[in-house]
Amino acid sequence: MRRTLVVATRVLRQLIREHRLLGLSVVAPLVIVYFLKLFFDTMPPTFETARYAVPVAAFLVHFLAFLLCAIVLVQERTAGTLERMFINGFRRTEVIGGYLVGYLALATLQAIVALTEAVLLFQLNYAPGTLGVLFIVVWLLAVASVMLGIFISTFARNEGQVFPFIPMIIVPSVFLSGLILDPHRLPDWAEWLGRLLPLRYANNVIQEMIRPGGALGAIWPNLLVLVAYSVVLWVLASRTLAEVE
Amino acid sequence: MEQRFLPWFKRSYNERTRDLSTRRHIFSASAAVSHQEWRGCMEAIAVRALTKSYGSFEALKGVEMSVPQGAVYGLLGPNGAGKSTLIKALVGALRPSGGEMRVLGLDPLRDRSQLRRCIGYMPQSAALYGDLSARDNVRFFGSAHGLPDLDRRVREVLEFTDLSDRAGDAIHTFSGGMKRRVSLACVLVHRPRVLFLDEPTAAVDPGLRARFWTTFRDLADDGVTLFISTHLMDEALLCDEVAVLRQGRIIIHDTPKGILERGLTRVVVRRSGQGCEEHIIGGHPEDLAQALRSYGLAQDVDAVEVRRDTLETVILSLIEREEVRV
Repeated sequence: MRRTLVVATRVLRQLIREHRLLGLSVVAPLVIVYFLKLFFDTMPPTFETARYAVPVAAFLVHFLAFLLCAIVLVQERTAGTLERMFINGFRRTEVIGGYLVGYLALATLQAIVALTEAVLLFQLNYAPGTLGVLFIVVWLLAVASVMLGIFISTFARNEGQVFPFIPMIIVPSVFLSGLILDPHRLPDWAEWLGRLLPLRYANNVIQEMIRPGGALGAIWPNLLVLVAYSVVLWVLASRTLAEVE
Repeated sequence: MEQRFLPWFKRSYNERTRDLSTRRHIFSASAAVSHQEWRGCMEAIAVRALTKSYGSFEALKGVEMSVPQGAVYGLLGPNGAGKSTLIKALVGALRPSGGEMRVLGLDPLRDRSQLRRCIGYMPQSAALYGDLSARDNVRFFGSAHGLPDLDRRVREVLEFTDLSDRAGDAIHTFSGGMKRRVSLACVLVHRPRVLFLDEPTAAVDPGLRARFWTTFRDLADDGVTLFISTHLMDEALLCDEVAVLRQGRIIIHDTPKGILERGLTRVVVRRSGQGCEEHIIGGHPEDLAQALRSYGLAQDVDAVEVRRDTLETVILSLIEREEVRV
Protein backbone atom coordinates (compact mmCIF):
# COMPACT_ATOMS: atom_id res chain seq x y z
CA MET A 1 0.00 0.00 0.00
CA ARG A 2 2.83 2.37 0.88
CA ARG A 3 4.54 1.79 -2.46
CA THR A 4 1.22 2.19 -4.30
CA LEU A 5 0.91 5.64 -2.75
CA VAL A 6 4.53 6.39 -3.65
CA VAL A 7 3.78 5.60 -7.32
CA ALA A 8 0.52 7.60 -7.18
CA THR A 9 2.32 10.60 -5.68
CA ARG A 10 4.97 10.44 -8.35
CA VAL A 11 2.35 10.17 -11.15
CA LEU A 12 0.47 13.16 -9.71
CA ARG A 13 3.66 15.18 -9.33
CA GLN A 14 4.53 14.45 -12.95
CA LEU A 15 1.05 15.47 -14.09
CA ILE A 16 1.25 18.74 -12.17
CA ARG A 17 4.66 19.54 -13.63
CA GLU A 18 3.55 18.65 -17.17
CA HIS A 19 1.57 21.85 -17.64
CA ARG A 20 0.75 21.29 -21.31
CA LEU A 21 -0.64 17.80 -20.79
CA LEU A 22 -2.62 18.88 -17.76
CA GLY A 23 -3.94 21.98 -19.49
CA LEU A 24 -4.89 20.16 -22.67
CA SER A 25 -6.57 17.28 -20.88
CA VAL A 26 -8.79 19.70 -18.97
CA VAL A 27 -9.30 22.25 -21.73
CA ALA A 28 -9.96 19.70 -24.49
CA PRO A 29 -13.29 18.42 -23.05
CA LEU A 30 -14.38 22.04 -22.49
CA VAL A 31 -13.66 23.01 -26.07
CA ILE A 32 -15.32 19.90 -27.52
CA VAL A 33 -18.45 20.32 -25.38
CA TYR A 34 -18.61 23.94 -26.57
CA PHE A 35 -18.35 22.80 -30.20
CA LEU A 36 -21.17 20.37 -29.46
CA LYS A 37 -23.23 23.29 -28.23
CA LEU A 38 -22.52 25.23 -31.44
CA PHE A 39 -23.55 22.17 -33.46
CA PHE A 40 -26.76 21.62 -31.49
CA ASP A 41 -27.69 25.29 -31.89
CA THR A 42 -28.04 24.65 -35.64
CA MET A 43 -30.58 21.85 -35.05
CA PRO A 44 -34.36 22.36 -35.19
CA PRO A 45 -35.96 23.47 -31.86
CA THR A 46 -37.55 20.04 -31.47
CA PHE A 47 -34.10 18.40 -31.24
CA GLU A 48 -33.52 17.00 -27.78
CA THR A 49 -30.07 18.26 -26.82
CA ALA A 50 -30.22 16.88 -23.27
CA ARG A 51 -30.19 13.33 -24.65
CA TYR A 52 -26.69 13.88 -26.00
CA ALA A 53 -25.02 16.54 -23.84
CA VAL A 54 -24.08 14.51 -20.77
CA PRO A 55 -23.36 11.26 -22.66
CA VAL A 56 -20.92 13.12 -24.94
CA ALA A 57 -19.22 14.68 -21.91
CA ALA A 58 -18.93 11.17 -20.43
CA PHE A 59 -17.50 9.86 -23.69
CA LEU A 60 -14.83 12.59 -23.69
CA VAL A 61 -13.76 11.68 -20.16
CA HIS A 62 -13.70 7.99 -21.20
CA PHE A 63 -11.60 8.66 -24.28
CA LEU A 64 -9.08 11.03 -22.67
CA ALA A 65 -8.61 8.97 -19.51
CA PHE A 66 -7.97 5.84 -21.61
CA LEU A 67 -5.61 7.52 -24.04
CA LEU A 68 -3.52 9.53 -21.56
CA CYS A 69 -3.06 6.65 -19.16
CA ALA A 70 -2.17 4.15 -21.90
CA ILE A 71 0.35 6.47 -23.55
CA VAL A 72 2.07 7.57 -20.36
CA LEU A 73 2.41 3.98 -19.15
CA VAL A 74 3.86 2.92 -22.53
CA GLN A 75 6.27 5.86 -22.27
CA GLU A 76 7.44 4.37 -18.97
CA ARG A 77 8.28 1.18 -20.82
CA THR A 78 10.13 2.84 -23.71
CA ALA A 79 12.06 5.14 -21.35
CA GLY A 80 13.16 2.18 -19.22
CA THR A 81 11.66 3.60 -16.02
CA LEU A 82 9.11 0.78 -15.76
CA GLU A 83 11.89 -1.81 -15.81
CA ARG A 84 13.81 0.28 -13.29
CA MET A 85 10.77 0.40 -11.02
CA PHE A 86 10.45 -3.40 -11.06
CA ILE A 87 14.17 -3.91 -10.45
CA ASN A 88 13.93 -1.52 -7.50
CA GLY A 89 11.26 -3.70 -5.99
CA PHE A 90 7.94 -2.14 -7.04
CA ARG A 91 5.39 -4.88 -7.77
CA ARG A 92 3.05 -4.72 -10.75
CA THR A 93 -0.06 -4.42 -8.59
CA GLU A 94 1.58 -1.41 -6.90
CA VAL A 95 2.38 0.16 -10.27
CA ILE A 96 -1.18 -0.42 -11.53
CA GLY A 97 -2.68 0.86 -8.27
CA GLY A 98 -0.44 3.93 -8.32
CA TYR A 99 -1.40 4.75 -11.88
CA LEU A 100 -5.07 4.22 -11.12
CA VAL A 101 -5.01 6.58 -8.15
CA GLY A 102 -2.87 9.17 -9.98
CA TYR A 103 -4.96 9.23 -13.13
CA LEU A 104 -8.23 9.09 -11.24
CA ALA A 105 -7.38 12.48 -9.79
CA LEU A 106 -7.09 13.82 -13.33
CA ALA A 107 -10.20 11.95 -14.48
CA THR A 108 -12.17 13.33 -11.52
CA LEU A 109 -11.14 16.83 -12.50
CA GLN A 110 -12.15 16.15 -16.09
CA ALA A 111 -15.51 14.68 -14.99
CA ILE A 112 -16.31 17.72 -12.83
CA VAL A 113 -15.26 20.21 -15.50
CA ALA A 114 -17.03 18.47 -18.42
CA LEU A 115 -20.26 17.82 -16.49
CA THR A 116 -20.39 21.35 -15.09
CA GLU A 117 -19.89 22.85 -18.52
CA ALA A 118 -22.51 20.56 -20.12
CA VAL A 119 -25.06 21.44 -17.42
CA LEU A 120 -24.39 25.18 -17.68
CA LEU A 121 -24.08 25.41 -21.45
CA PHE A 122 -27.16 23.35 -22.20
CA GLN A 123 -29.08 24.84 -19.27
CA LEU A 124 -29.94 21.44 -17.87
CA ASN A 125 -32.10 21.72 -14.76
CA TYR A 126 -31.34 18.46 -13.00
CA ALA A 127 -32.03 17.87 -9.34
CA PRO A 128 -28.95 17.71 -7.07
CA GLY A 129 -29.53 13.97 -6.59
CA THR A 130 -29.52 13.40 -10.36
CA LEU A 131 -26.35 15.45 -10.73
CA GLY A 132 -24.74 13.39 -7.96
CA VAL A 133 -25.58 10.11 -9.74
CA LEU A 134 -24.37 11.54 -13.06
CA PHE A 135 -21.06 12.46 -11.43
CA ILE A 136 -20.71 9.02 -9.86
CA VAL A 137 -21.38 7.22 -13.12
CA VAL A 138 -18.93 9.41 -15.08
CA TRP A 139 -16.35 8.86 -12.35
CA LEU A 140 -16.84 5.08 -12.41
CA LEU A 141 -16.55 5.21 -16.19
CA ALA A 142 -13.27 7.11 -15.72
CA VAL A 143 -12.00 4.35 -13.39
CA ALA A 144 -12.87 1.73 -16.02
CA SER A 145 -11.22 3.88 -18.72
CA VAL A 146 -7.99 4.23 -16.73
CA MET A 147 -7.96 0.46 -16.15
CA LEU A 148 -8.64 -0.12 -19.85
CA GLY A 149 -5.70 2.20 -20.66
CA ILE A 150 -3.43 0.31 -18.26
CA PHE A 151 -4.52 -3.06 -19.69
CA ILE A 152 -4.09 -2.00 -23.32
CA SER A 153 -0.69 -0.45 -22.59
CA THR A 154 0.64 -3.88 -21.65
CA PHE A 155 0.23 -4.95 -25.30
CA ALA A 156 2.05 -1.95 -26.78
CA ARG A 157 5.81 -1.73 -27.09
CA ASN A 158 5.73 1.95 -28.03
CA GLU A 159 3.34 4.90 -28.07
CA GLY A 160 2.47 4.33 -31.74
CA GLN A 161 1.08 0.88 -30.95
CA VAL A 162 -1.52 2.42 -28.63
CA PHE A 163 -3.24 4.27 -31.47
CA PRO A 164 -4.65 1.22 -33.34
CA PHE A 165 -6.65 0.48 -30.18
CA ILE A 166 -8.54 3.74 -30.60
CA PRO A 167 -10.45 2.61 -33.74
CA MET A 168 -10.74 -0.86 -32.19
CA ILE A 169 -12.20 0.16 -28.82
CA ILE A 170 -13.02 3.85 -28.55
CA VAL A 171 -14.65 4.54 -31.93
CA PRO A 172 -17.00 1.51 -31.74
CA SER A 173 -18.11 2.84 -28.33
CA VAL A 174 -19.66 5.84 -30.11
CA PHE A 175 -21.88 3.65 -32.28
CA LEU A 176 -22.50 0.56 -30.16
CA SER A 177 -23.01 1.87 -26.65
CA GLY A 178 -26.13 3.99 -27.18
CA LEU A 179 -24.41 7.34 -27.42
CA ILE A 180 -26.02 8.15 -30.78
CA LEU A 181 -28.87 5.65 -31.10
CA ASP A 182 -30.73 3.12 -29.04
CA PRO A 183 -28.51 0.00 -29.02
CA HIS A 184 -31.56 -2.27 -29.13
CA ARG A 185 -32.08 -1.17 -32.74
CA LEU A 186 -28.71 -2.68 -33.68
CA PRO A 187 -28.34 -6.26 -35.02
CA ASP A 188 -28.05 -8.77 -32.18
CA TRP A 189 -24.33 -9.39 -32.65
CA ALA A 190 -23.55 -5.66 -32.63
CA GLU A 191 -25.77 -5.15 -29.61
CA TRP A 192 -23.85 -7.89 -27.78
CA LEU A 193 -20.53 -6.42 -28.88
CA GLY A 194 -21.66 -3.13 -27.35
CA ARG A 195 -22.12 -4.92 -24.02
CA LEU A 196 -18.34 -5.42 -23.88
CA LEU A 197 -17.80 -1.66 -23.79
CA PRO A 198 -17.93 0.25 -20.50
CA LEU A 199 -19.55 3.30 -22.11
CA ARG A 200 -22.66 1.20 -22.75
CA TYR A 201 -23.34 0.78 -19.01
CA ALA A 202 -22.52 4.39 -18.19
CA ASN A 203 -24.85 5.52 -20.96
CA ASN A 204 -27.67 3.28 -19.65
CA VAL A 205 -27.51 5.07 -16.30
CA ILE A 206 -27.16 8.54 -17.82
CA GLN A 207 -30.12 8.08 -20.18
CA GLU A 208 -32.34 6.87 -17.34
CA MET A 209 -31.29 9.65 -14.98
CA ILE A 210 -31.84 12.48 -17.46
CA ARG A 211 -35.26 11.12 -18.50
CA PRO A 212 -38.07 13.04 -16.82
CA GLY A 213 -39.11 10.92 -13.86
CA GLY A 214 -36.07 8.67 -14.23
CA ALA A 215 -34.69 6.95 -11.14
CA LEU A 216 -31.73 4.81 -10.18
CA GLY A 217 -34.01 2.04 -8.92
CA ALA A 218 -33.93 -0.38 -11.85
CA ILE A 219 -30.63 0.56 -13.44
CA TRP A 220 -28.22 0.52 -10.50
CA PRO A 221 -26.78 -2.89 -11.57
CA ASN A 222 -25.14 -0.95 -14.43
CA LEU A 223 -22.99 0.80 -11.83
CA LEU A 224 -22.00 -2.60 -10.46
CA VAL A 225 -21.07 -3.73 -13.97
CA LEU A 226 -18.76 -0.71 -14.27
CA VAL A 227 -17.11 -1.64 -10.97
CA ALA A 228 -16.82 -5.29 -12.05
CA TYR A 229 -15.38 -4.15 -15.39
CA SER A 230 -12.60 -2.28 -13.56
CA VAL A 231 -11.91 -5.21 -11.24
CA VAL A 232 -11.66 -7.67 -14.14
CA LEU A 233 -9.34 -5.32 -16.04
CA TRP A 234 -7.23 -4.94 -12.88
CA VAL A 235 -6.84 -8.71 -12.64
CA LEU A 236 -6.07 -9.04 -16.35
CA ALA A 237 -3.56 -6.15 -16.30
CA SER A 238 -1.88 -7.68 -13.23
CA ARG A 239 -1.28 -10.76 -15.35
CA THR A 240 -0.26 -9.10 -18.60
CA LEU A 241 2.03 -6.40 -17.18
CA ALA A 242 5.29 -8.33 -17.23
CA GLU A 243 7.80 -7.80 -14.43
CA VAL A 244 10.17 -10.22 -16.13
CA GLU A 245 10.71 -10.29 -19.90
CA MET B 1 39.29 23.08 5.11
CA GLU B 2 40.62 23.59 1.62
CA GLN B 3 39.70 20.02 0.82
CA ARG B 4 36.03 20.92 1.08
CA PHE B 5 36.30 23.16 -1.96
CA LEU B 6 38.03 20.69 -4.22
CA PRO B 7 35.85 19.21 -7.01
CA TRP B 8 34.26 15.98 -5.86
CA PHE B 9 36.24 13.79 -8.24
CA LYS B 10 39.58 15.12 -6.93
CA ARG B 11 38.72 14.24 -3.37
CA SER B 12 38.78 10.73 -2.08
CA TYR B 13 35.58 8.94 -1.26
CA ASN B 14 36.47 9.04 2.43
CA GLU B 15 36.97 12.80 2.39
CA ARG B 16 33.69 13.36 0.62
CA THR B 17 31.73 11.24 3.00
CA ARG B 18 33.50 12.54 6.07
CA ASP B 19 32.07 15.96 5.28
CA LEU B 20 28.67 14.45 5.69
CA SER B 21 29.63 12.64 8.88
CA THR B 22 27.98 9.58 7.42
CA ARG B 23 30.92 7.47 6.37
CA ARG B 24 29.68 4.45 8.27
CA HIS B 25 26.25 4.68 6.65
CA ILE B 26 27.18 4.82 3.01
CA PHE B 27 28.01 1.21 2.21
CA SER B 28 28.83 -0.24 5.55
CA ALA B 29 28.05 -3.77 6.63
CA SER B 30 24.96 -2.43 8.35
CA ALA B 31 23.34 -2.04 4.94
CA ALA B 32 19.61 -2.35 4.47
CA VAL B 33 19.74 -6.12 4.20
CA SER B 34 21.87 -8.41 6.26
CA HIS B 35 23.53 -11.26 4.38
CA GLN B 36 25.00 -13.31 7.16
CA GLU B 37 25.05 -16.50 5.17
CA TRP B 38 26.50 -14.89 2.13
CA ARG B 39 29.39 -13.24 3.94
CA GLY B 40 31.09 -16.59 4.28
CA CYS B 41 30.97 -17.05 0.55
CA MET B 42 33.47 -15.31 -1.70
CA GLU B 43 31.42 -15.32 -4.90
CA ALA B 44 29.16 -12.32 -5.43
CA ILE B 45 27.92 -13.60 -8.78
CA ALA B 46 27.97 -17.13 -10.10
CA VAL B 47 26.70 -18.12 -13.54
CA ARG B 48 26.61 -21.65 -14.90
CA ALA B 49 25.71 -22.63 -18.49
CA LEU B 50 23.36 -19.67 -18.89
CA THR B 51 21.46 -19.52 -22.17
CA LYS B 52 18.88 -17.18 -23.59
CA SER B 53 17.17 -17.64 -26.94
CA TYR B 54 14.81 -15.38 -28.85
CA GLY B 55 13.23 -17.79 -31.29
CA SER B 56 16.07 -19.28 -33.29
CA PHE B 57 18.49 -16.54 -32.22
CA GLU B 58 20.73 -17.45 -29.29
CA ALA B 59 21.70 -14.31 -27.38
CA LEU B 60 23.56 -16.22 -24.65
CA LYS B 61 25.19 -19.56 -25.37
CA GLY B 62 26.17 -21.20 -22.11
CA VAL B 63 27.78 -18.34 -20.21
CA GLU B 64 29.96 -19.34 -17.25
CA MET B 65 31.39 -16.85 -14.83
CA SER B 66 32.30 -16.24 -11.25
CA VAL B 67 32.70 -12.77 -9.77
CA PRO B 68 34.41 -12.39 -6.40
CA GLN B 69 32.96 -10.07 -3.79
CA GLY B 70 34.30 -6.54 -3.79
CA ALA B 71 35.69 -6.83 -7.31
CA VAL B 72 35.34 -4.44 -10.19
CA TYR B 73 34.39 -6.90 -12.91
CA GLY B 74 34.40 -5.72 -16.49
CA LEU B 75 32.20 -7.35 -19.12
CA LEU B 76 33.62 -6.39 -22.47
CA GLY B 77 32.20 -7.00 -25.86
CA PRO B 78 31.09 -5.32 -29.04
CA ASN B 79 27.55 -4.05 -29.49
CA GLY B 80 25.12 -6.96 -29.76
CA ALA B 81 27.42 -9.39 -27.95
CA GLY B 82 24.78 -10.09 -25.29
CA LYS B 83 26.07 -7.86 -22.47
CA SER B 84 22.74 -6.21 -21.67
CA THR B 85 20.93 -9.55 -21.94
CA LEU B 86 23.30 -11.07 -19.40
CA ILE B 87 22.93 -8.12 -17.01
CA LYS B 88 19.15 -8.14 -17.30
CA ALA B 89 19.11 -11.84 -16.50
CA LEU B 90 21.31 -11.26 -13.45
CA VAL B 91 19.07 -8.50 -12.07
CA GLY B 92 15.96 -10.62 -12.57
CA ALA B 93 14.46 -8.58 -15.41
CA LEU B 94 14.85 -11.35 -17.96
CA ARG B 95 14.00 -15.03 -17.77
CA PRO B 96 16.88 -17.10 -19.18
CA SER B 97 16.19 -20.13 -21.36
CA GLY B 98 18.51 -22.36 -19.37
CA GLY B 99 21.37 -22.56 -16.89
CA GLU B 100 21.79 -21.29 -13.37
CA MET B 101 22.72 -18.00 -11.80
CA ARG B 102 23.17 -16.69 -8.28
CA VAL B 103 23.75 -13.18 -7.04
CA LEU B 104 24.82 -12.99 -3.39
CA GLY B 105 23.74 -16.61 -3.22
CA LEU B 106 20.18 -15.75 -4.29
CA ASP B 107 18.30 -16.77 -7.40
CA PRO B 108 17.51 -13.55 -9.31
CA LEU B 109 14.04 -14.83 -10.27
CA ARG B 110 12.94 -16.96 -7.35
CA ASP B 111 14.35 -14.66 -4.65
CA ARG B 112 13.57 -11.49 -6.56
CA SER B 113 12.08 -9.45 -3.77
CA GLN B 114 14.91 -10.30 -1.38
CA LEU B 115 17.63 -9.69 -3.94
CA ARG B 116 16.32 -6.34 -5.14
CA ARG B 117 17.02 -4.79 -1.77
CA CYS B 118 20.74 -5.46 -2.13
CA ILE B 119 21.46 -4.88 -5.82
CA GLY B 120 21.51 -1.74 -7.91
CA TYR B 121 21.01 -1.62 -11.67
CA MET B 122 21.97 1.31 -13.87
CA PRO B 123 20.57 0.77 -17.36
CA GLN B 124 22.14 1.97 -20.59
CA SER B 125 19.52 4.65 -21.11
CA ALA B 126 18.98 7.40 -18.52
CA ALA B 127 15.64 5.82 -17.40
CA LEU B 128 14.65 8.90 -15.39
CA TYR B 129 11.52 11.05 -15.19
CA GLY B 130 12.33 14.16 -17.22
CA ASP B 131 9.69 16.37 -15.59
CA LEU B 132 10.82 15.56 -12.09
CA SER B 133 13.85 16.98 -10.32
CA ALA B 134 17.01 14.99 -9.64
CA ARG B 135 15.99 14.86 -5.96
CA ASP B 136 12.49 13.55 -6.77
CA ASN B 137 13.89 10.88 -9.08
CA VAL B 138 16.37 9.63 -6.49
CA ARG B 139 13.75 9.76 -3.73
CA PHE B 140 11.20 7.88 -5.85
CA PHE B 141 13.48 4.95 -6.66
CA GLY B 142 14.82 4.94 -3.11
CA SER B 143 11.34 4.89 -1.62
CA ALA B 144 10.77 1.41 -3.06
CA HIS B 145 13.12 0.07 -0.41
CA GLY B 146 11.42 1.61 2.61
CA LEU B 147 14.57 3.23 3.99
CA PRO B 148 14.01 4.79 7.39
CA ASP B 149 16.56 7.51 6.60
CA LEU B 150 15.51 8.14 3.00
CA ASP B 151 15.80 11.94 3.06
CA ARG B 152 19.30 11.78 4.46
CA ARG B 153 20.31 9.10 1.96
CA VAL B 154 18.99 11.20 -0.93
CA ARG B 155 21.08 14.15 0.28
CA GLU B 156 24.15 11.94 0.66
CA VAL B 157 24.05 10.36 -2.79
CA LEU B 158 23.31 13.70 -4.44
CA GLU B 159 26.32 15.13 -2.63
CA PHE B 160 28.37 12.06 -3.56
CA THR B 161 27.58 12.53 -7.26
CA ASP B 162 28.09 16.31 -6.99
CA LEU B 163 24.49 17.12 -7.83
CA SER B 164 23.49 19.05 -4.71
CA ASP B 165 23.48 22.39 -6.51
CA ARG B 166 21.07 21.16 -9.20
CA ALA B 167 19.06 18.76 -7.05
CA GLY B 168 15.85 20.75 -7.46
CA ASP B 169 16.10 21.16 -11.24
CA ALA B 170 14.08 19.09 -13.70
CA ILE B 171 16.00 16.31 -15.39
CA HIS B 172 15.10 17.55 -18.89
CA THR B 173 17.33 20.58 -18.26
CA PHE B 174 20.37 18.35 -17.58
CA SER B 175 23.17 17.39 -19.96
CA GLY B 176 23.71 13.74 -20.87
CA GLY B 177 26.58 13.44 -18.40
CA MET B 178 24.52 14.90 -15.54
CA LYS B 179 21.71 12.46 -16.29
CA ARG B 180 24.21 9.62 -15.97
CA ARG B 181 25.19 10.98 -12.55
CA VAL B 182 21.55 11.16 -11.46
CA SER B 183 21.11 7.61 -12.72
CA LEU B 184 24.08 6.54 -10.61
CA ALA B 185 22.66 8.35 -7.58
CA CYS B 186 19.38 6.43 -8.03
CA VAL B 187 21.38 3.19 -7.99
CA LEU B 188 23.33 4.04 -4.84
CA VAL B 189 20.54 5.38 -2.66
CA HIS B 190 19.60 2.07 -0.99
CA ARG B 191 23.19 1.00 -0.25
CA PRO B 192 23.36 -1.96 -2.67
CA ARG B 193 26.07 -4.57 -2.19
CA VAL B 194 26.28 -5.47 -5.88
CA LEU B 195 26.04 -2.90 -8.67
CA PHE B 196 25.19 -3.78 -12.25
CA LEU B 197 26.16 -0.92 -14.52
CA ASP B 198 25.27 -1.31 -18.18
CA GLU B 199 27.70 0.79 -20.23
CA PRO B 200 27.79 3.57 -17.63
CA THR B 201 30.42 5.54 -19.52
CA ALA B 202 28.97 5.23 -23.03
CA ALA B 203 28.69 8.63 -24.72
CA VAL B 204 30.18 10.58 -21.83
CA ASP B 205 33.18 12.89 -22.16
CA PRO B 206 36.65 11.69 -21.03
CA GLY B 207 36.59 13.90 -17.94
CA LEU B 208 33.34 12.44 -16.64
CA ARG B 209 34.52 8.97 -17.57
CA ALA B 210 37.56 9.42 -15.32
CA ARG B 211 35.32 10.68 -12.49
CA PHE B 212 33.03 7.68 -12.84
CA TRP B 213 35.92 5.26 -12.63
CA THR B 214 37.28 7.02 -9.54
CA THR B 215 33.84 6.57 -7.99
CA PHE B 216 33.70 2.89 -8.98
CA ARG B 217 37.06 2.22 -7.38
CA ASP B 218 35.97 4.03 -4.22
CA LEU B 219 32.85 1.88 -4.03
CA ALA B 220 34.86 -1.29 -4.56
CA ASP B 221 37.24 -0.22 -1.79
CA ASP B 222 34.20 -0.12 0.45
CA GLY B 223 33.31 -3.73 -0.38
CA VAL B 224 30.73 -3.17 -3.11
CA THR B 225 30.93 -5.56 -6.06
CA LEU B 226 30.69 -3.80 -9.41
CA PHE B 227 29.68 -5.61 -12.58
CA ILE B 228 30.31 -3.16 -15.40
CA SER B 229 29.63 -3.74 -19.07
CA THR B 230 31.47 -1.68 -21.65
CA HIS B 231 32.50 -1.83 -25.27
CA LEU B 232 35.48 0.44 -24.57
CA MET B 233 38.49 -1.87 -24.42
CA ASP B 234 40.74 0.57 -22.56
CA GLU B 235 38.34 0.51 -19.58
CA ALA B 236 39.29 -3.11 -19.02
CA LEU B 237 42.58 -1.93 -17.55
CA LEU B 238 40.65 -0.31 -14.71
CA CYS B 239 38.94 -3.56 -13.73
CA ASP B 240 40.13 -6.28 -11.37
CA GLU B 241 38.89 -8.99 -13.69
CA VAL B 242 37.65 -8.98 -17.24
CA ALA B 243 35.44 -11.24 -19.30
CA VAL B 244 35.05 -10.77 -23.03
CA LEU B 245 31.65 -11.71 -24.38
CA ARG B 246 31.44 -12.48 -28.07
CA GLN B 247 28.26 -13.64 -29.75
CA GLY B 248 26.76 -14.81 -26.50
CA ARG B 249 29.83 -16.71 -25.30
CA ILE B 250 32.59 -15.79 -22.84
CA ILE B 251 35.76 -16.20 -24.86
CA ILE B 252 38.29 -14.60 -22.50
CA HIS B 253 38.26 -14.44 -18.73
CA ASP B 254 41.31 -13.11 -16.96
CA THR B 255 42.84 -10.19 -15.10
CA PRO B 256 43.91 -7.23 -17.28
CA LYS B 257 47.53 -8.11 -16.45
CA GLY B 258 46.97 -11.71 -17.49
CA ILE B 259 45.47 -10.61 -20.78
CA LEU B 260 48.36 -8.23 -21.46
CA GLU B 261 50.77 -11.09 -20.89
CA ARG B 262 49.11 -12.97 -23.72
CA GLY B 263 50.14 -10.19 -26.14
CA LEU B 264 53.42 -9.59 -27.90
CA THR B 265 56.28 -7.26 -27.12
CA ARG B 266 58.51 -5.79 -29.80
CA VAL B 267 62.07 -5.09 -28.69
CA VAL B 268 63.91 -2.81 -31.11
CA VAL B 269 67.65 -2.74 -30.51
CA ARG B 270 69.91 -0.14 -32.13
CA ARG B 271 73.61 -1.07 -32.21
CA SER B 272 76.38 1.35 -33.08
CA GLY B 273 77.05 1.30 -36.80
CA GLN B 274 74.58 -1.57 -37.46
CA GLY B 275 71.15 0.06 -37.63
CA CYS B 276 68.08 -1.40 -35.88
CA GLU B 277 67.02 -4.98 -35.30
CA GLU B 278 63.53 -5.96 -34.13
CA HIS B 279 62.76 -8.98 -31.95
CA ILE B 280 59.22 -10.12 -31.21
CA ILE B 281 58.79 -11.79 -27.86
CA GLY B 282 55.93 -12.76 -25.52
CA GLY B 283 54.11 -10.29 -23.27
CA HIS B 284 55.19 -11.79 -19.93
CA PRO B 285 57.72 -9.73 -17.90
CA GLU B 286 60.10 -12.72 -17.82
CA ASP B 287 60.11 -12.78 -21.63
CA LEU B 288 61.28 -9.17 -21.63
CA ALA B 289 64.03 -9.86 -19.10
CA GLN B 290 65.19 -12.79 -21.18
CA ALA B 291 65.18 -10.69 -24.35
CA LEU B 292 67.11 -7.87 -22.75
CA ARG B 293 69.71 -10.33 -21.51
CA SER B 294 69.98 -11.81 -25.00
CA TYR B 295 69.88 -8.70 -27.17
CA GLY B 296 69.85 -5.52 -25.21
CA LEU B 297 72.62 -5.46 -22.64
CA ALA B 298 75.69 -5.72 -24.88
CA GLN B 299 78.38 -3.01 -25.01
CA ASP B 300 77.57 -1.99 -28.59
CA VAL B 301 73.88 -1.30 -27.89
CA ASP B 302 73.08 2.41 -28.17
CA ALA B 303 69.33 2.23 -27.49
CA VAL B 304 66.59 -0.27 -26.68
CA GLU B 305 62.95 0.46 -27.43
CA VAL B 306 60.23 -1.76 -26.01
CA ARG B 307 56.78 -1.66 -27.62
CA ARG B 308 54.09 -3.71 -25.90
CA ASP B 309 50.73 -4.59 -27.41
CA THR B 310 47.96 -2.53 -25.91
CA LEU B 311 45.14 -4.32 -24.10
CA GLU B 312 42.86 -3.51 -27.01
CA THR B 313 45.27 -5.09 -29.51
CA VAL B 314 45.62 -8.21 -27.37
CA ILE B 315 41.89 -8.58 -26.88
CA LEU B 316 41.15 -8.06 -30.58
CA SER B 317 43.80 -10.60 -31.58
CA LEU B 318 42.44 -13.09 -29.03
CA ILE B 319 38.93 -12.55 -30.41
CA GLU B 320 40.27 -13.11 -33.93
CA ARG B 321 42.08 -16.27 -32.83
CA GLU B 322 38.92 -17.54 -31.12
CA GLU B 323 36.85 -16.93 -34.24
CA VAL B 324 39.32 -18.89 -36.36
CA ARG B 325 39.25 -21.71 -33.80
CA VAL B 326 35.40 -21.79 -33.77
